[in-house]
Amino acid sequence: MAKVKLFRASKTDSAATFFDRFRDVIQKLITYLFLLLGVVIAITPFVWMISTSLMSLGESLSIRWFPSSLHFENYLNAWREAQFSEYFINSVIITSITLIGQVTFSVLAAYAFARIDFPGRDLIFTVMLSTMMIPAMVIIIPNFLTVTWLGRIGPIKWINNWPALTIPFMGNVFSIFLLKQFFAQIPDELWDSARIDGAGHLRFLWTVVLPLSTAPLMVIVVLSFIGSWNALAWPLLVTNSPEWRPIAVGLNNFVDEAGQELNLMMAGAFITIIPILIIYFFTQKQFTESIARSGLKG
Amino acid sequence: MNLNFLSGRQIRKIREYITAYLMIAPATLLIFLFGIFPVGFALYVSLHKWRIKQGKFLGLTHYRKALGNLAHVLLFGLTAAALLGGYLLVRRIVKNVKEEGGRKDWLLLFPGALFSATVLAFVRWTILLLPEILAIADKIWGKEKTRELFARLLREAFFTPGVQGAWRLFLFLFAASILLLILLLYLIRSSRRFSQILNFTLIWIIVPVGLGLLWFNVQSIQSVYREAVAAGEDPGIWVQVITLTAGVLLLVASWFLWKSATHQTKTFAFVWRILAAISLMIGAWLLIGELPTVIAVGDEDMWTGLKVTVFYSLGTVPFQLAFSMFLAILLFQNLWGSDIFRMLYFLPYVTPTVASAAIFRQLFSNRYQAPMNQLFLKLGMEPQQWIREPQGVFSMLAETMGVTLPPWAGGPSLALVVIMIYSIWTYVGYDTVIYLAGLGNISTPLIEAAEIDGAGPWEKFRFIIFPLLSPTTYFLSLIAIIGTFKAFSHIWVMREASALGTTDTFSVVIFSEFFEKLRYGYASALAFVLFAIILSLTFINQRVQGSRVFYG
Repeated sequence: MAKVKLFRASKTDSAATFFDRFRDVIQKLITYLFLLLGVVIAITPFVWMISTSLMSLGESLSIRWFPSSLHFENYLNAWREAQFSEYFINSVIITSITLIGQVTFSVLAAYAFARIDFPGRDLIFTVMLSTMMIPAMVIIIPNFLTVTWLGRIGPIKWINNWPALTIPFMGNVFSIFLLKQFFAQIPDELWDSARIDGAGHLRFLWTVVLPLSTAPLMVIVVLSFIGSWNALAWPLLVTNSPEWRPIAVGLNNFVDEAGQELNLMMAGAFITIIPILIIYFFTQKQFTESIARSGLKG
Repeated sequence: MNLNFLSGRQIRKIREYITAYLMIAPATLLIFLFGIFPVGFALYVSLHKWRIKQGKFLGLTHYRKALGNLAHVLLFGLTAAALLGGYLLVRRIVKNVKEEGGRKDWLLLFPGALFSATVLAFVRWTILLLPEILAIADKIWGKEKTRELFARLLREAFFTPGVQGAWRLFLFLFAASILLLILLLYLIRSSRRFSQILNFTLIWIIVPVGLGLLWFNVQSIQSVYREAVAAGEDPGIWVQVITLTAGVLLLVASWFLWKSATHQTKTFAFVWRILAAISLMIGAWLLIGELPTVIAVGDEDMWTGLKVTVFYSLGTVPFQLAFSMFLAILLFQNLWGSDIFRMLYFLPYVTPTVASAAIFRQLFSNRYQAPMNQLFLKLGMEPQQWIREPQGVFSMLAETMGVTLPPWAGGPSLALVVIMIYSIWTYVGYDTVIYLAGLGNISTPLIEAAEIDGAGPWEKFRFIIFPLLSPTTYFLSLIAIIGTFKAFSHIWVMREASALGTTDTFSVVIFSEFFEKLRYGYASALAFVLFAIILSLTFINQRVQGSRVFYG
């Protein structure tokens, strides 16, 4: 991406007078001023969160902006007493199961859609794509009924257990779509030579296609992680005890019930944010691009 | 030898098909079960009294409750759309026949009828089977959940008299269709036989469904009339239907006239325009006169939800787009550290919604010591209730100047404004990233040429950058507007009882009907209204804005 100056004719030659250079500097200064103002607005809530989470209870309710002494024990309290450890572990388990299921199923389906020509392929794919338009509120009620039903007739509980929280999200149209686009670009010659060597589809997928597609896989993992970590409405419906409650619901309930324990609440909020922050800082580029491309967040 | 080779190849082909079906099976089954089937199921739920458990069939009652008599008008609109779709399909077939000269194609009308009958018989069977299947959960209650018991109950559900009859009818039709299809494949050797068969089948599905809707609608209107007459009232549905339809038709007519005027010679164009303007005025007058009385019967919570959503859209989308365009243009210049800026702007968007909403809830808390109230005090203003304030901001502003505004001019409540601020804070980063991508697509020679012509910064923005960014703006505004209708998590977290529902957008209204009031049927009906709104917004946006976007 070639960057150009959209707003200034760059006069760097000798014709540039002192006045021109002075104006350039001023303009740059103003630009930075605006950009910094934006940063301040974007960051202040986080700064406030962190500083409040380190205050004593009395301080957190006072007018102070920064703690007089650092109370790291707030994190310990939130972690242990406010059950954030339980919520956090639940979320990790739920997210991992969803992630494994979704990635596996999406890879398999995307491969078949992209590289095998079978009857009804385009029809099935189009019907699947059209489901992306359906708002979540339409399907949340019948899905709740389905999940309840499944739990009542089957051997395992669904409500208040991992199946209700993970299985409905394992089939993801967007992941399949993204992977299919990528798999379709892999040259046919690779498949031909693999077949001559006696490889079947699964082997070809595992040894050739997957190593080539780390980038889209990464995008899917990241998106599915955020989606699962941030989900609120559905987990709120299908969990009614702390046993399987994910962290977003736990924090929401804490906000409703905690009353005045502001420092603990902010510590909890920070605990909720940390995993996403870590992923964000490590995969910043793919992260930004994947979200920009998909237009989605949980 | 030759035969052997052929069959070996065919076997390999079939094995490949089976591999493919097995590979897509898990994802497809899940997407069907939790993505496609629920749409039909939601429709089914919305037509029943359903409070945790299924109750009796209510027909349009929930939609009437939500929309008032408008429900009937919209259903007539749906009927018209179905019949129009049928007409368009017929026209396409006629065109195909004329172009290709395949006159025998008309014979496909009959197999098409059979195929559509098969589809409809299948739908009928599932609708009859669904309650029986759902009832298994109750029958199994309290007993030991063994596989045999479930299998037995499932068999019983299948063999319920009505269900079995429907199943047999479907099987019979299905077998007949398969036979006919094989026969057709041998008889017709045209390249577009499949599309032609599909078209005929679609006609036979769309038109009966449309007529069925018409019949259903008239029936339910008549039952409403019967009740009303018994109570000595006049519901006036027919009058309203006619007035509203006439209004919409006149608006559509004026639009067509106005468009056709551009193709006419001068006097004609003038006359058309006058006619268009007249029909526009009459149509608009009819609508404005009638709509409020039609809507007044509807659900107040829903209309408030819709109003709140519109406020929320108007209060967030333009600001969010303006700020992010500004930031993107600043960032696009060759500046040191622009990547760091971008990363920090994106941070609010990335943080889990519940966490950031919890932070905002405290920043804008009604406590005297809360940061926002402290800031207000420092600036010499009164502390506010913020997230708990149900009063409209315009009326609050007017009050400080000693004027009392009427309730309808109150504007969004202060609580909603806080949510708007949160929303803008969250989405500016995302929009900026997309705008940066859009700016990357603008060709530099264009800008350089403008510079040579002596364009200043403002001219460059107004006449080059802004128009060339319009596809991005279009995309972002569509996503953002639809997003406001889907908005849920942050509003749910920042919602306060004392804000008196002034922050409840459409999705929140639906969720609270479902989650808090346990009205599953009614919530499903509302969800379908939301679906319809989102679909028509997308459609209108494509029609109106899509034609104005400049794609370079």
